[in-house]
Amino acid sequence: MVKRKVAALEKVEADLVSLQYKIRRDPRSYAQEFFDQWLAYDAQRQIFISSPATASSEDVKKFHDLVDLVAHVADLYPDLTAPFPDHLKELLNQHHATLDKELREKVVGSLVLLRRKDVIDSTSLLTTLFPILISTPSKTLRSLLYTKIISDLRESNSKATNHRLNRTIQTVLHNLVTSDRTSTKGMWATRITRELWRRQIWTDARPCDVMKEACLSDNEKVVVGGVRFFLGGDKEREELEDDSSGDEIDLKKVKHQGTINKKTKKRQKAYERALEKVKRQERKKSAPSPLNFSALHLIHDPQGFAEKLFQKHLQNAKNKFSLDNKLLILQLVTRLVGLHKLTIISLYSWFVRYLTPKQTNVTSFLASLAQATHNLVPPDVLEPLIVKIANEFVSEASASEVAAAGINAIREVALRQPLCVNETLLQDLVMYQKSKDKGVVMAAKGLQSLYREVYPELLQKKYRGKEATMGLRSGEVKQRKFGEEEEGGIEGIELLEKYKEEQKRQKQAEQAAANDGDVKDKDDEDEDGFNSSDWEVGSTESESSTGWIDVSSESESEDEPAKKRLRRDSSDVPDLVDTSKETDSSAAAAEATRISKLATTSILTPADLAKLAELRREAKIDKALGNQSKRKKELIQKHIDEGLTAEDIELPAQLGKKTTKEERIALAKEGKPGREEHKSTQAIRKAKKEAEGKSTTNREKARKKNFLMTVGKARAKHKRSLVETRKTLRAHIARSKSGGRRRNGL
Amino acid sequence: MGSSTKKKKEKKKDFQKPKLKVGKAKPKAANFTDTSFKSKSIVVNQQVLSADASDPTEQFKQNLSLAITAKSDNQRRDALAYVTNQLSATPPNNPVGTSGILTKLLPLISDGSASVRTQLLKLFRALPPLEVRPHTEKILMYVRGGMTHLSNDIRTDTLSILEWLLEVAGDETVSCPGGWLKTLNSFSSMLGWNPSVGSAITSKGWTSASKTTLGTKKGPEAQARQIQVLAKFLQTGFRPEAPAPYSPGAYWDNIYRLPGTPTPFAYLNLFGMPRDEDSEMYPDRISRQRAFDAKWRAAISAGMEEARKEGGMVGRAAATLDRALTAGLEREVSEQAA
Repeated sequence: MVKRKVAALEKVEADLVSLQYKIRRDPRSYAQEFFDQWLAYDAQRQIFISSPATASSEDVKKFHDLVDLVAHVADLYPDLTAPFPDHLKELLNQHHATLDKELREKVVGSLVLLRRKDVIDSTSLLTTLFPILISTPSKTLRSLLYTKIISDLRESNSKATNHRLNRTIQTVLHNLVTSDRTSTKGMWATRITRELWRRQIWTDARPCDVMKEACLSDNEKVVVGGVRFFLGGDKEREELEDDSSGDEIDLKKVKHQGTINKKTKKRQKAYERALEKVKRQERKKSAPSPLNFSALHLIHDPQGFAEKLFQKHLQNAKNKFSLDNKLLILQLVTRLVGLHKLTIISLYSWFVRYLTPKQTNVTSFLASLAQATHNLVPPDVLEPLIVKIANEFVSEASASEVAAAGINAIREVALRQPLCVNETLLQDLVMYQKSKDKGVVMAAKGLQSLYREVYPELLQKKYRGKEATMGLRSGEVKQRKFGEEEEGGIEGIELLEKYKEEQKRQKQAEQAAANDGDVKDKDDEDEDGFNSSDWEVGSTESESSTGWIDVSSESESEDEPAKKRLRRDSSDVPDLVDTSKETDSSAAAAEATRISKLATTSILTPADLAKLAELRREAKIDKALGNQSKRKKELIQKHIDEGLTAEDIELPAQLGKKTTKEERIALAKEGKPGREEHKSTQAIRKAKKEAEGKSTTNREKARKKNFLMTVGKARAKHKRSLVETRKTLRAHIARSKSGGRRRNGL
Repeated sequence: MGSSTKKKKEKKKDFQKPKLKVGKAKPKAANFTDTSFKSKSIVVNQQVLSADASDPTEQFKQNLSLAITAKSDNQRRDALAYVTNQLSATPPNNPVGTSGILTKLLPLISDGSASVRTQLLKLFRALPPLEVRPHTEKILMYVRGGMTHLSNDIRTDTLSILEWLLEVAGDETVSCPGGWLKTLNSFSSMLGWNPSVGSAITSKGWTSASKTTLGTKKGPEAQARQIQVLAKFLQTGFRPEAPAPYSPGAYWDNIYRLPGTPTPFAYLNLFGMPRDEDSEMYPDRISRQRAFDAKWRAAISAGMEEARKEGGMVGRAAATLDRALTAGLEREVSEQAA
């Protein structure tokens, strides 16, 4: 029905908006008027309820206005308006499909308003809105409800985490996903969870559980929503955090403007505000960042989850998901396998089918395979895959990109499990560094340098390189067996031990020199190894620095052998950390036993840890920085943090390729201002300034000034008498001394 | 200097011929109108193409819809007048039926224009009372909405509608669901005799808030009229029912015949929402008296006393109300005694 607009003359003398204003100013005096309108609302509601579908637009409009009024002042008359929230909920629940659009929006808005005024609580609001969000066919209503739900959850978690509400909603979402696994309704659960995760409102394991269930759903959309969350949710969260801290104020600029512009209270306030904001930002920066675990780490029972995911969506031949989505799922599964070192043996044999160059997105498969490898995967499971990759991808006949990708994929797998390549195959692959294509050469060299580090025996002698050969001879490079783990320990603990001993000895010597009588008591204290003042970091820092100097000076003067030992030790230490090189092994062994003692027999205080860090730093400075396995560690770290992508596999193939002209041009243009026509940089800058609404310089203005406006002055200047000229020159000098026309100096 | 050459060039520009080139599109003329736009709806400027539509039914319907949708007051009033004429002709010409007219025109009770409202009342008076009776509940909803409207004029005019309703369907008005207590609610809020709100305001101190500010602006005439209508309403509510004449077949009719009245089992409320005290129906006089006694008697008597003391028109109206009240309640007392 066409809506009739109310003309200005028709308006009644008192409208609802002004009444609302009056009521809010003085609720007690206008109680009668509000009661009238409450009755009117009631009557209008009855009219509306009697035929909601066929209500005339007039009635709808009236009802809309009355709902608006009542919602705005409901908190002032709690007794009278007690049934109001229920009315709205009922209306929305029963008639949301047929309600007029504006009225529907008003009802939703009013409910949120009541929530903000604390008339109803979050739980009741969300439990009203959520079922409608899922069931309504209207897109606009859905988006409205979605934003309202998110904002309400944010609001109620803004001051302190509202655990009860979060738990309720998470349970609702969990039930939504698990109750009907085939429906798309789970989409909303994934969307809401993801958004709240991104905003760091939900950071615990429960939302991860919801997403886990979503991943195991039958509906493709829901599954993809869940999988994408695990693959990208944490990155999104970090990005948002970076964005929020991005807008920074240039305090210098604000200050400068304060000196140029007229000094007003408003400007002063603006400056203060900016200062406050900058301070707040700095405080935020220095504050310890909240420790948020990534979603992948919070998953409960990753082995079971990965297995189920694999069996349900990948191994199942009946599954009809698209290839892209299957790849996403595969990425998640392999990511889990790599990260948690899970064992899914059937996963590797499943890969065989897909490892041919003709397979679409084969590089993604290769990356996933590498991702799924870790040092606990049996080499004989991986070997057929490696052989297959070598046969299918790496040959003289295949294209150079294909060969490069194949070799690189083998390298990535071998990086994680070096035992999976047999000797002949490796030697064969390494020979490809004689290829003509640069990409293949680089990939083969990468493989070679990897094996130089991890398993040089497999390489031919001439490819081993100097360091690996020497290492092999000295027995430093040792081949690790399957399942062998690197020994862990506290790096530099022996330094600390040595330092402590020195301290003790020095103190004893001091006491012996000073006073023989008191020795016993003090000794007791020292033997405990615990001094209450030593506990705090700050107190020892000062103490230790002086103590350190004392050690050296004293030992120089009186304790010759001790000094020698100290020196030798400090030179030996880095090697001990690395557990390498020619040092007498018996001494090292004895050292090692003592090390474990310190760590296991005493509790390391914060002061100890600070000292440890200091000692470690000093040792590092002495040491020639040649840690060979550093690169490998970095690579593995990267894998743990971000996972492997298809781009990583394709990378060496890019090396040999020549860029086209267009690409080079695009590369050159990147980060430069756009220019449609040929123009000078100066002109572009000027145009940009003008577009930003900034003014020109005085010089610019003078240059642009109309000639006729200046010609008179120029002529007059010529005709001036000497006296006049002098006068102006003097005035100029005086003016410049007193700070210009504005008298800035005064 | 510079400007003069510039001006010359500009002048020249006006008379330059555009150069046509091979292979290029012909330049558009200066007065070219782009007609390639698309619109999703068709806007009809003139609503009626022929002023005297031949079909009277169509004309009636058109006027009926015009009464709601027309923007100008006069047009709406005229359309209502046309419909009134058709209804009061002999024989009445009503192609859509009373219910159709009522559903369409009831929202006009709270129309902004006074002339439309008076015309609406005339139209209602032209409706056959028998056909109005089944719609009493619905009309009453709109009447209550009008009685609590912000505008004083609309309130006053709504009272006339209520008066008309009491004339044509008095019993239905007071006995339909919500018809008794809810209407009394509206009356009390109109007169400012509301005990619950009043106590909320005045309980705190020795000063008393002014009486309703929106309702009494028009002075004593409006209030007097309100009291009069209230008196009428109460009279109707307390009117003793005439005992049904004896008919020998009534018993069997009750059991085997279809009931002759619409919604005969409304009091059971089988299909509607559960009713609270206010929206309950009070079908007979005794239940009405009881409800009134419990809820409104004290408040209305207090208000009435106050109005009486004012004297003048208001006082006279209050006296009428007093008479109605005493008459209605006296009978109750006598009946209780009996």
